Amino acid sequence: MISVSNLSKDYNGVTVLNIDNLDIPTGESFGLVGNNGAGKTTFFSLLLDLIQPSGGYIKNNHIIVNESEEWKPFTSSFIDESFLIGYLTAEEYFYFIGELRGQNKADVNDFLKKYEEFFNDEILQKKKYLRDLSKGNQKKAGIIAALIGNPDVVILDEPFANLDPTTQIRLKKIIKELNQHTDTTILISSHDLIHVTEVCERIVVLDKGATVKDIQTSQATLEELEAYFNR
Amino acid sequence: MFKRFIALEWKQFSRSSYFQKGIAIKILLAFGALYFIGMAAFMGVAAYFGLQKFMPDKDPITIVNNFVIYWFLADMVFRYFLQQLPVLNIKPYMVIPIKRSVVIHFLLGKTSISFFNFLPLFFFLPFSITLLVNGDYSILHIASWFFSMMLFTLSINYLNFLLNKNNKVFYVIASLLIAAGLLQFYGIYSVTEPAGYFFNTIYNKPYAVLIPLLLMVMLYRVNFKFIRKDFYLDGAISKETKDVHTQELTWLNRFGKIAPFLKNDVRMIMRNKRPKQVLLMSFLFLFYGLIFYTQETYQEMPAFLAFASMFVTGGFLMSFGQLVPSWDSEYYKLLMSQNIPYREYLKSKWSLMVVAVLISFILSTPYIYFGWDIFGMIAAGALFNMGLNSFITLYGGVLNRVPVELNVRAKAFSNTQGFNPTQLLIALPKIFGPILIFYIPYKLINFETGIICLAVSGVLGLVFTNFFLNQIEKVYQKQKYKTIAAFSEKK
Repeated sequence: MISVSNLSKDYNGVTVLNIDNLDIPTGESFGLVGNNGAGKTTFFSLLLDLIQPSGGYIKNNHIIVNESEEWKPFTSSFIDESFLIGYLTAEEYFYFIGELRGQNKADVNDFLKKYEEFFNDEILQKKKYLRDLSKGNQKKAGIIAALIGNPDVVILDEPFANLDPTTQIRLKKIIKELNQHTDTTILISSHDLIHVTEVCERIVVLDKGATVKDIQTSQATLEELEAYFNR
Repeated sequence: MFKRFIALEWKQFSRSSYFQKGIAIKILLAFGALYFIGMAAFMGVAAYFGLQKFMPDKDPITIVNNFVIYWFLADMVFRYFLQQLPVLNIKPYMVIPIKRSVVIHFLLGKTSISFFNFLPLFFFLPFSITLLVNGDYSILHIASWFFSMMLFTLSINYLNFLLNKNNKVFYVIASLLIAAGLLQFYGIYSVTEPAGYFFNTIYNKPYAVLIPLLLMVMLYRVNFKFIRKDFYLDGAISKETKDVHTQELTWLNRFGKIAPFLKNDVRMIMRNKRPKQVLLMSFLFLFYGLIFYTQETYQEMPAFLAFASMFVTGGFLMSFGQLVPSWDSEYYKLLMSQNIPYREYLKSKWSLMVVAVLISFILSTPYIYFGWDIFGMIAAGALFNMGLNSFITLYGGVLNRVPVELNVRAKAFSNTQGFNPTQLLIALPKIFGPILIFYIPYKLINFETGIICLAVSGVLGLVFTNFFLNQIEKVYQKQKYKTIAAFSEKK
């Protein structure tokens, strides 16, 4: 689904990302880990064409992302709070995203019903603007909005951060179900090695902009990752 | 401790992003400030001589005293809408070992260093000096009067803090003002007369300076107590969150593809402080014509009238439009990674501007009072606004690239957020466009032809709407990465 070729990004002569080759097949749940500054968010920003690559390119379903916008209809993402519209209520935000993705109000309402448990009564009918919700609740709204309209590719940057333990567990369940029952390609970055090994079939470790490990998740993966980061 | 606070404030000021924008802006701002100060000083001096010339039988200071109440009322209204209160900055001081009272004194003291408190200084001081130099006044009386005026200004400053933070105070003061206004309007009881008498008494009895002094101290104490009582994260310094309701705005669905964006824009304007401010300012633009149409000097200069006529209906268009796409800067990454056709996005903004021009035009019908010539000009100006100005403004917006904090009021006068030299360049065709389009045919043929040419230029623009939108869309596409980078800069 996603293939990366000779991708690099420099800022003032300093290379922050350099990936020669990376292929993510359709339907894979893909985890990206690495310390601060490893290039995770840079990679996602390049994938979403929010910054320009210094060299190389990313193909999303055979479309070069920085040349055509055709990838937008089937790709959705939640990177940070700047993906929320602060002055909307959660419902208004969901309907807006729905309209952009060809879902009418009834479709969105049906869709949201599935996530009632995840919202834990803290998102809908709260009579609050998104900007007045807590960080964790903002994140919940953003993540679910990224799932509206059955996208083929879902990109979530550190989805577990700021969530309470119950919600983290529920989110893991949602991601696993999405992975098992649909052909959605899911890209997740995380600082939490336990979560990421639990939900991702494959984990790539970035360090200083380069891929240093590419692991198919197994029983031993968590130990391997812990050993790697404990240096 | 105060010294350290001041050092921090200075750093906040000098390191804020808008201050680091380059020397050109700073010079321009300095000139702007000097201009205002110079104008105020000039008014102060001119007021004395002007009043003496037109009303030689009356004492200038008596006249000023009779009308100064209007000054203070206007000051109050402007402050309510424009003055930004430094409320949120004290959060970091709550947990460090400084006495609360120190922090509050500093916070309140800080509000007194506002442009609003300095501007009257520049009027009253030159006026007082002129009185002393040119008239037969006692220093004691003038000095105490001058300090009274300053103390009243500071009282308004503290009153404004309460007005903003306490709904009860706001409703009481607002209803008092409205009641006074109605009484005055229907001639039942004139409030300004006793006010004039009051201010004259303050002038005549120097020790009366104690009245405004006590008033200020009292308001300061009230403020202090009010903040002290609520010095908690969820108290006076917090942003208040009101219950809000989901608004469907389904009536906008008739606009088809651009409906989702229109809905968001309407909500954006209704729910954020900065766009609301723009809305208010653009309403004031409607009265712009009064300055020009009432003065005989301008009747001989129709080029200026053409310019004014464009302004009457173009207030919202220009003040809102120059910040497209900055209005969406807080969530621009979302828009750029979502399934959004740029054109629909632009068209929604454009439609909003055109509708605003239409509404302004309807509201400007009372200008018929000044004659059909004037109203014809306003109509032609409105067409120019819809057909050409709208596109020029949209084009200028993308070159602007300044992030806007939606729910923060623009600071009066230090408002460089959303302002840069490109704005000035792009303003040139907006200002001189209508003047030239009108003036050349007016000079060559006649007045009517001038109006018709201005109107036709707008109609032509409307005919080529698609062409213009396509061109602007291309610029937006080209600038995409730069815009994203600029918008995600920390404020």
